[in-house]
Amino acid sequence: MKKGFVFNQSLCVNCKACSAACSLENNFTVKVRNVLTYNREAAASVPLSHLSIACNHCEIPVCMMGCPVSAYRYDSLSEAVIVDESKCFGCKYCVWNCPYDAPKYDPVKGVIGKCHFCYSRLGEGIEPACSSGCPTGALSYADLSELNPMNTTEWFPENELSPSFRFKGITKNIPLRIIPDSLFIKKINSVPEEKKIRRSDWSLILFSFFSMLSVSFIASLLLKGELRDSLLLVILLFLPGVFSVFHLSKWYRAWRAVFNFKSSPLSREIAAYLFYVIISITSVFSHAPWLLVVAVVSGLLLLLAIDGVYIYSQKDPVVYLHSGQTFITALLLISFLSGSVWPFIFIACIKILISIYLYKPSGRNIDILRHIRNALLLVAGASIISGISYPQLSVIIIFLTGEFLDRILFYFDFEPTNINNLIYKHIAEGKYETERD
Amino acid sequence: MDEFITACPRNCYSTCTFIVQVSGNRIKRILPFSGNRATPEGPCIKGLSYIERSSSRDRIIYPLIRKKDGTFIRIPSDEALDIISSRLGSIRNRYGSHSILWYRGSGMSGLTNEIGYSFWKAFGGTTITYGNLCWPAGLEAVRLTLGSVKHNVPWDLVNAKTIIIWGKNPAETNVHEIRFIAEARNRGAKVVLIDPVRTPSADKTDMMYSINPGTDAALALAIAKVLIDNGLIDCEFINNHVAGYESFRDSLNITPESAEEITGIPAGDIIKLAFMIGKGGPVTFLPGYGLQRHINGGQTVRSILALAVITGNIGKQGSGFNYANLQSYIFDSVKEPDSYYPDPKNDSPFRRTLSMAKLGQDMMNASDPVLKTAFIERGNPILQSPDSNKVSKAFSSMEFRVVVEQFMTDTAKIADIILPAKNMFEQSDIIGSYWSPYVQFKPKILESPGEVMPESEIYYELSKRLGLVCSENQIPEPGNQNIENWLKERIKGYSDLQLEDLRDGPVIAPGLQEIAYHDFKFETETGKIEIYSQTAYEKWNVSPVPEYVPIKRKDEENNFPLVLITPNASGRIHSQFGNLKVIAENSETPALMISPEDAERRKISDGCRIRIYNESGELFTAVRISNRIPSGAVLLHNGIWMEEGGGGNILISGRETDMGYGSAFHDNMVEIELAD
Repeated sequence: MKKGFVFNQSLCVNCKACSAACSLENNFTVKVRNVLTYNREAAASVPLSHLSIACNHCEIPVCMMGCPVSAYRYDSLSEAVIVDESKCFGCKYCVWNCPYDAPKYDPVKGVIGKCHFCYSRLGEGIEPACSSGCPTGALSYADLSELNPMNTTEWFPENELSPSFRFKGITKNIPLRIIPDSLFIKKINSVPEEKKIRRSDWSLILFSFFSMLSVSFIASLLLKGELRDSLLLVILLFLPGVFSVFHLSKWYRAWRAVFNFKSSPLSREIAAYLFYVIISITSVFSHAPWLLVVAVVSGLLLLLAIDGVYIYSQKDPVVYLHSGQTFITALLLISFLSGSVWPFIFIACIKILISIYLYKPSGRNIDILRHIRNALLLVAGASIISGISYPQLSVIIIFLTGEFLDRILFYFDFEPTNINNLIYKHIAEGKYETERD
Repeated sequence: MDEFITACPRNCYSTCTFIVQVSGNRIKRILPFSGNRATPEGPCIKGLSYIERSSSRDRIIYPLIRKKDGTFIRIPSDEALDIISSRLGSIRNRYGSHSILWYRGSGMSGLTNEIGYSFWKAFGGTTITYGNLCWPAGLEAVRLTLGSVKHNVPWDLVNAKTIIIWGKNPAETNVHEIRFIAEARNRGAKVVLIDPVRTPSADKTDMMYSINPGTDAALALAIAKVLIDNGLIDCEFINNHVAGYESFRDSLNITPESAEEITGIPAGDIIKLAFMIGKGGPVTFLPGYGLQRHINGGQTVRSILALAVITGNIGKQGSGFNYANLQSYIFDSVKEPDSYYPDPKNDSPFRRTLSMAKLGQDMMNASDPVLKTAFIERGNPILQSPDSNKVSKAFSSMEFRVVVEQFMTDTAKIADIILPAKNMFEQSDIIGSYWSPYVQFKPKILESPGEVMPESEIYYELSKRLGLVCSENQIPEPGNQNIENWLKERIKGYSDLQLEDLRDGPVIAPGLQEIAYHDFKFETETGKIEIYSQTAYEKWNVSPVPEYVPIKRKDEENNFPLVLITPNASGRIHSQFGNLKVIAENSETPALMISPEDAERRKISDGCRIRIYNESGELFTAVRISNRIPSGAVLLHNGIWMEEGGGGNILISGRETDMGYGSAFHDNMVEIELAD
């Protein structure tokens, strides 16, 4: 018998007893159980409902599968997915991967905190604190086998993870009828929060960009047959590693990061990077051309691994087709650095076509950035084709600025599924019921 | 780990039963107790917060005395009691015992609170308050009409076909009722809310009527007229059980059209609502206490109650007027609302009385003797009394103030001596409920920390020092066994109530009517439901039939265009609980709520610091623009400590309700502006 959380929206009044019960029972430093509100602004024409949510202890725990340091474990007795703070190094990959916003990053402690199903209470035969603390019975801990997993609200994400969570009772809401009709504001005013680039994102941008650069550099050396041990090369090899460590709060636990090679794309990325650096250094200093081939191949694999990290979190054309992905950009860089005009034109066209294909005007400043980015590529391309200025420094700078911008844009567009965003999107797109009885 | 069953003694509808797991003299867990049919899912967030509250580091656990510089230092209990007894003695000798104000609030219910009466009677009497800050206008209105104050058991609500929530906000103040409302809806009931504000309860209903504050009687009487004009009344019920129907019928002069002018609700919708009530039986009305905290509050409650009466929705399953259910109040020698009168029957006249609603003014005006000393327990009058600036001033002008408190409240801060108060887990007691039908025992399960003494022991020690002569057992000797013996003595007259049974969980009050008035016996003079009440006229000088009395405001108040509503917050019981971390973390920060229109008019944006002011005073707080508030009204929860910005009582003038000696909290106008 599979047990889990059962939620009845018609009984939830947003009293937050569940959240309070959780923090009184456990000593989490983050709020792991929260009550989300659909139509928090109480717009009169939009239905209003609440959802108490923490971790749903999915049968397919993407948080655990993606964790590079294997900080997560599955407790078969309580069927709980548990994170061990002492192993977490604060990469926040699980925050991307969980659509339910269950793993919470504690900026003070620098690690993830997450609902552990009150597994010790379950061991004592007492239900979790949150459901036990719910005074209306809206949230309960019960047998899930009888309840239909498809009975869900439209904005509840990714049932294919088999969350230990079911809705009970009515999930479709209709807006409240208010008399007199004219009294309260009808429309939602606020727009979904704009995606911002945070400090930790910068470290990832720099990591991926310099990985790209170093792979392209080595590949172009190979193509041109100008193998030499330059300081620039060594710097290019090590810079990504230095940048990536910056976004880790517990960088001294980074040695654990290859532990989950079996299932974590992030682990694979880190392993690929280490392998690539070692091979490249060896090949450069041993002047062995065949090793250089291995280095380039491993570098391209690294870039595929980097792209895979994001595709794993957001399986969406916006991500896997993105022109700012590292592999395709590296191909462009290689052709640029090696002076291969036709491949360059071909790949550049693909990149521009993709960015046009995926372009959705948002009405924000970011749209201008996209145009600037394409313009820079066109200018650089035109310079190469006309053959006037290559390899002038100014063209290199124009070109690299454009590609760097593309990588930044990738982080703007990368938005892994998150229940908070889904609620806002659902309202913003006006998908809710408008009919009253 | 030890387990106990206990019950929450707060001034709250729900009166939850819950299981407490204790280890090492600390509460580890609070779990639901399913044996209470009204609260089977366990207590609300406040109940859960006892885990923090009972062992809070902020708790006062030693007697404190105020130094000249205003700060407090710890003194030994003996010394504190010596000072208090000698001051009380000398003030009594110099000015008479009526120069002492004994103020008690509703902070903790329980039979042991009677011990204080025994002490002060033996002391020679005292000045005391009459009336009540909460609900007496409605209690009086219900009693005048039905002869007593009771309603069906909470779980009968699921049998209703129509539920009219009128000015009540169960989603925040009686969260356990939501289960029954939701279940009734599941079974096909229509649920309607009538309230100026779109409260969280609104979102659990089918429709809400946003009514102009203070005009509920006009809506009710217009509905009554539609019901009568369309023959939607229960003639047989009226003939058999109602006195004065004709007078009521003939007095009705508010039409849906004139009501539209007054209430802001379109006439057509009033007629629709009337038909829902008239045709959608059984109907249960869930009136709140806010709508009677007006100067026309008693007549408002009578008007709404009249709807239940003329449609025959009394004494039947799924029907009723659930104002308060005092069926478990079996111990009180003076029944509520009688006990709120200045000089109630059956109570030997040992006291001088001051109005609870007009406390500040009455305290300042008290002469012969002038008030010299205050002894305050279970209450926070500095924050919770209307016109709190005057109340503060009156307390400040006294010679000596004793406050029995658990935390450094705004009232504790004005004390000369603070005695640490027990919490609900530190002494056994018995409590009733004004919603569910249970009598409940709450055992002593924790040893008091520091030098905390229950009030009974404080009074014991003081009476010993003052050499008071009390009849035996009136003030039990220290020790919880003595309290339990005292309780046993107290419940001796009720064969259905044994302390040992009560230990196992809540016990249904002896003589309970699950369906109140199912026997159609009414304890009025006529033995019938008195929709026309001669007593109402004689005692309160109001029309003998329910009537809409417009709230008259003073001309000066025209400068203050916004109605101030100060209801209870979901995380607090009045001024309790707001100081706890777990409550603060799970509540919105205190702020004045205002409609987008009114905010825009004043160029105020969300989160600004604002000044709220009127003739009574001013206070500064943050503002929250909310689509839940109608234009023309602002909402500030009561019970917000001064250090958090302060409660609205600074802005509320001390006025009594039309009947029952309640406090008209919601008839005040304010203006707001940006603070610099």
